[in-house]
Amino acid sequence: MNLYHSKIHRSLLVKDARTQQRNNAELRFRAYGLTAVSVGIVALVILLVSIFTSGMTAFQQTKLQVTLELPEAKLDKKGQRDLVAMKKVTTIGYFKVLGDGLIAQLERLGVETGLKAKEVREILSKESAATLRNAVLADPSLIGSTVTMEFLANGRIDGYFKGRVDRASAQLDKNVEPGQLDIADALAERRLMYTRFNFNFILAPDASDQRPEAAGLGVAILGSIYMMLVVLFVALPVGVAASIYLEEFAPKNRLTDVIEVNISNLAAVPSIVYGILGLAIFINMAQFNQSSPLVGGLVLTLMTLPRIIIPARAALKSVPPSIRDAALGVGASRMQTVLHHVLPLAAPGILTGVIIGLGQALGETAPLLLIGMVAFVREYPAAFTSDSGLFGEASTALPVQVFNWTQRADPSFVERASGAIIVLLVFLLIMNALAIFLRRRYERRW
Amino acid sequence: MTKLPIKISAKNVDVFYGAAHAIKSVDVEIADKMVTSFIGPSGCGKSTFLRCINRMNDTIDVCRVTGDIMIDMEDIYDRRVDPVQLRAKVGMVFQKPNPFPKSIYDNVAYGPKIHGMARNKLELDEIVEKSLRRAALWNEAKDRLQEPGTGLSGGQQQRLCIARAVATEPEVLLMDEPCSALDPIATAQIEQLIDELRSSYCVVIVTHSMAQASRVSDRTAFFHLGELVEYGYTSHIFTNPSDKRTESYITGRIG
Repeated sequence: MNLYHSKIHRSLLVKDARTQQRNNAELRFRAYGLTAVSVGIVALVILLVSIFTSGMTAFQQTKLQVTLELPEAKLDKKGQRDLVAMKKVTTIGYFKVLGDGLIAQLERLGVETGLKAKEVREILSKESAATLRNAVLADPSLIGSTVTMEFLANGRIDGYFKGRVDRASAQLDKNVEPGQLDIADALAERRLMYTRFNFNFILAPDASDQRPEAAGLGVAILGSIYMMLVVLFVALPVGVAASIYLEEFAPKNRLTDVIEVNISNLAAVPSIVYGILGLAIFINMAQFNQSSPLVGGLVLTLMTLPRIIIPARAALKSVPPSIRDAALGVGASRMQTVLHHVLPLAAPGILTGVIIGLGQALGETAPLLLIGMVAFVREYPAAFTSDSGLFGEASTALPVQVFNWTQRADPSFVERASGAIIVLLVFLLIMNALAIFLRRRYERRW
Repeated sequence: MTKLPIKISAKNVDVFYGAAHAIKSVDVEIADKMVTSFIGPSGCGKSTFLRCINRMNDTIDVCRVTGDIMIDMEDIYDRRVDPVQLRAKVGMVFQKPNPFPKSIYDNVAYGPKIHGMARNKLELDEIVEKSLRRAALWNEAKDRLQEPGTGLSGGQQQRLCIARAVATEPEVLLMDEPCSALDPIATAQIEQLIDELRSSYCVVIVTHSMAQASRVSDRTAFFHLGELVEYGYTSHIFTNPSDKRTESYITGRIG
């Protein structure tokens, strides 16, 4: 008895070795956790900073204002304002007229250039001739008058205002002369050249290699929206129905075990495999249009389904069984039990899964490459035409557009690609915010 | 036992959970307009047997019931019986109060709604009021019918569940340890309520509390290891049990 007493008589004010050891272990563990979180945050910050610094400039574009005459002799030789005849004048012709107008404007302003006419003209984007031509064809009465219009500046000039190009680098670059930069400075001084918010980056279609300044995301955004609609309207009902059946109705046997394991496996299948599958099934077998948002959406649906079913089943499983008992106890059928009581309670969880699945689908690139959505598309795809059906017109998608632009030679496309990533991130943020908002709203009802 | 109208009669009932033999050849006859309690140690099968009476065990895949259970001389395990209809006739109150996460009104109105018992809102209002009155909850709930049922206290929630169960006008009311999650005051209220329900329903209650069984029930069945050991008048079981195991249980030596 005495021995026992003497043994356990210890002061609580002094930590024993074991307690100290345990406390140290806990401190170490916390430090590991904190380090991991910090590394994650630092990586995220670096990523965002690098994307935003190189991408934000895509939302600004350098433009210049030119006041020029539109000579009838060059643009409509017959003077009949006949559109068919007028269309024979190509953008090359218009580019000359526009260039002459710019040179005349510089003379009026008293800007000494010392450059060849061709070099002065190239301050303008190649796209600007098309801008002028479209304006004239839309309103032939402009011919013969003097107009003041806004045109895109060449990508290099744009780069000069964004700090990407300077005189030293212009010396080495055969695409731009230091003299052109002097003209740009002179025009900027007179407020005839300026940078403005670039609506065309979001609205305009893609442009060719030679005119990065005109390239936009319009077609890609439209294509992505169409695909998300397809995914939403196919994957949501199919996924939710499948998870309800598996969770609430299916008998638990060997077959359902196999199905369950395989759904988990499908979620881990590399996305490019779905691309091959889509190519074989939707394009080769079902003969849907290549490059169409319909096929893209269906491929993404296949990919997203397991990613919706798994969280949806988890959400259904987390509804307390007492609710099912209660509903069955008052004589509800199993279907009524599920639809009236279980599904509303699981809805927030299901919704979160669906939106995360959609988010993944939105950012998916690989399977779309295989079904031809990497094509260069200038025409806005229509949601429906009688020829191509629903979402059947060729389109591209946001992540594919990023992939596309990073492969082009002109350095201006780097800025465009980063800008496209920002747009993609904004879309993802909007979707996640929507998920949180809907979840909060739903949960408050109970 | 004196002859009383028999509501539920079970013959040779065996229940298996997979390979486990949960109920062994139980024969019992339960009288109408009476409170019958099932007592016994945990895992003795009393809840399992109770859940056979409204076929709640159907939802468990591995559960298999053999033998006959008759209500009003009809075999409830007959192929033609739809468990949904059966459960409207045999209401159930669970161990833990489990109101739907909806308003008090909707909780009570749900059963009558799905069974098409009310033709219009007025009739439904009537049913809700009648059910809440029967469950002795009307006075506390009448001013807050649109508030969530989950916002009530534990005892009130359990009375709400009773109101929900009686709203479908059942003939049998099964209660699976309805007071085990409640404090003594709420328990007393529920017990008083059970006493009042006796006149309209055939009430079967599973309880862990022998005191409760002796307070509320007319007859008591003692289950042990899946067998029905003894069944008779409550007063008789508690004062003069004929089986050794019953005696050991009620005196606290087993269980």
